[in-house]
Amino acid sequence: MSRPGSNSWEAPVARVCPCIPGTGTRVMGDCSQAAVAGVPELLSACRGLHTSAACCKNRAARVRVGKGDKPVTYEQAHPPHYIAHRKGWLSLHTSNLDGEQGAAERTVEDVFIRKFLYGTFPGCLADEVVIKRRANQLVICMVVLQRLAPSKMYFLVGYTEALLSAFYKCPVRLCLQTLPAKQVYKYI
Amino acid sequence: MEMFQNPGLKKMIFSIQYHQPSTWEASLIEVQPVKTESNKTGKTSGKSRKQVLNPRTTKMTVDQDWMSVYPAAAPFKPSAVPLPIRMGYPVEKGVPMAKDGNLELIKIPNFLHLTPVAIKKHCGVLKDFCTEWPKALDSDEKCEKHFPIEIETSSYVSAGPSLYNPKARTVTLKIRLSKLNLNDHAKKKFIRLVGERYCKNTDLLTITTDRCPLQRQNYDYTMYLLTVLYHESWKTEDWEKKKTEADMEEYIWEKSRSEKNILKTLLQIKASEKTAEVTQEDLLCSEEVENYKKSVVALKNEGDTKNNLSHYKEAVKKLLKLI
Repeated sequence: MSRPGSNSWEAPVARVCPCIPGTGTRVMGDCSQAAVAGVPELLSACRGLHTSAACCKNRAARVRVGKGDKPVTYEQAHPPHYIAHRKGWLSLHTSNLDGEQGAAERTVEDVFIRKFLYGTFPGCLADEVVIKRRANQLVICMVVLQRLAPSKMYFLVGYTEALLSAFYKCPVRLCLQTLPAKQVYKYI
Repeated sequence: MEMFQNPGLKKMIFSIQYHQPSTWEASLIEVQPVKTESNKTGKTSGKSRKQVLNPRTTKMTVDQDWMSVYPAAAPFKPSAVPLPIRMGYPVEKGVPMAKDGNLELIKIPNFLHLTPVAIKKHCGVLKDFCTEWPKALDSDEKCEKHFPIEIETSSYVSAGPSLYNPKARTVTLKIRLSKLNLNDHAKKKFIRLVGERYCKNTDLLTITTDRCPLQRQNYDYTMYLLTVLYHESWKTEDWEKKKTEADMEEYIWEKSRSEKNILKTLLQIKASEKTAEVTQEDLLCSEEVENYKKSVVALKNEGDTKNNLSHYKEAVKKLLKLI
């Protein structure tokens, strides 16, 4: 913060100011307030940092509201704070219990598996992939659209199982459920 | 409704709902609208005609074998479970989502493979691999008599491909010292050697090892420790003869200061009374001295209880003939 009267200019620090979220209130950095107060030396040398409340909004796993024509599934419609209240967990394993090892490894595996499946079944995934671990077995449950021919689907299933078993050195099972179209929960 | 008369399925009826639906849908079993029967070759004629199989629920009989539908733990399959289950938080003026494509039903673990019939069958198969408990060991005392050593080990299973858990290598050995053949000196030496691992109240020695990387090695190490302790406690080293009174675990009256003092006092009394010469052995054997000895030993070993103190008082009075 540059003191009035000093010639040096310090870069203003961005402040997170308490403000009502949702309102577009602008909060000026203190530098510009000093300028507003009319200290002549600072008017030209100071630039205020404007922060607005929109940046503080939480965007994690939330589908933004539209005109009422956007179909969303149950999974998409509920933001993360509904986990354990209206939603379950997409990935089930025991590593997150007290005293258990390997939580980080399982999480990294999960991320890879989801990306891999998203690419292997192009445009076919109706909803998120559910990953369950039973002892060392990996059970991957998917809800798939009936876009591909059954023979192609079977090939992709076998390919995925073989490749993932080779990667993770454990038995991998894919359990598919096919739907003609995505299950819409509501339109937002 | 006939579906629900199957005793195996009856216990399985559950409907996870947050709202009661307005119409009672339990009586209706929805069938997926099917366009055509499946074609084995999978050839699409002209425009893509979706060839989707009828769900298995339409082909199920009332008295089917449920174990063939769910033989092992499997995720929820709406086409194989003939129950009209709904799950989910409903929209306003709506009902929970149906079972088709319902991710919530897939996420939760289900026990559809664990009907009582299935469990009974499974146990029946496992019984062939089991042996009966020996009839001769029908009480705890007999078990302890024939098998005095108790070994405790743990193995761990966890999600993930690795078998190895660092907690799996600890081995605990438990044995009562009364089962070991130790004389007085050996027992005292043994207890000194093991220190904290011995519990006086239960007479239980507990040795826990985890210094070796494998469980097998830790087990061998505990057995080795037990053997070494046993043999060492029977040996008497030269320096053990230098055991002083301060080293004693419990108070022994023979050759103690209390004995010397009391004998000196009594001899002086006898000498002053000018009675016949009484020898030390006679003094020691007399009843009063015996009483005194018992009270002193009790005081020193057990501590100052009301009983002990009163006992000591009586003994002293009798000894010095002060009553």
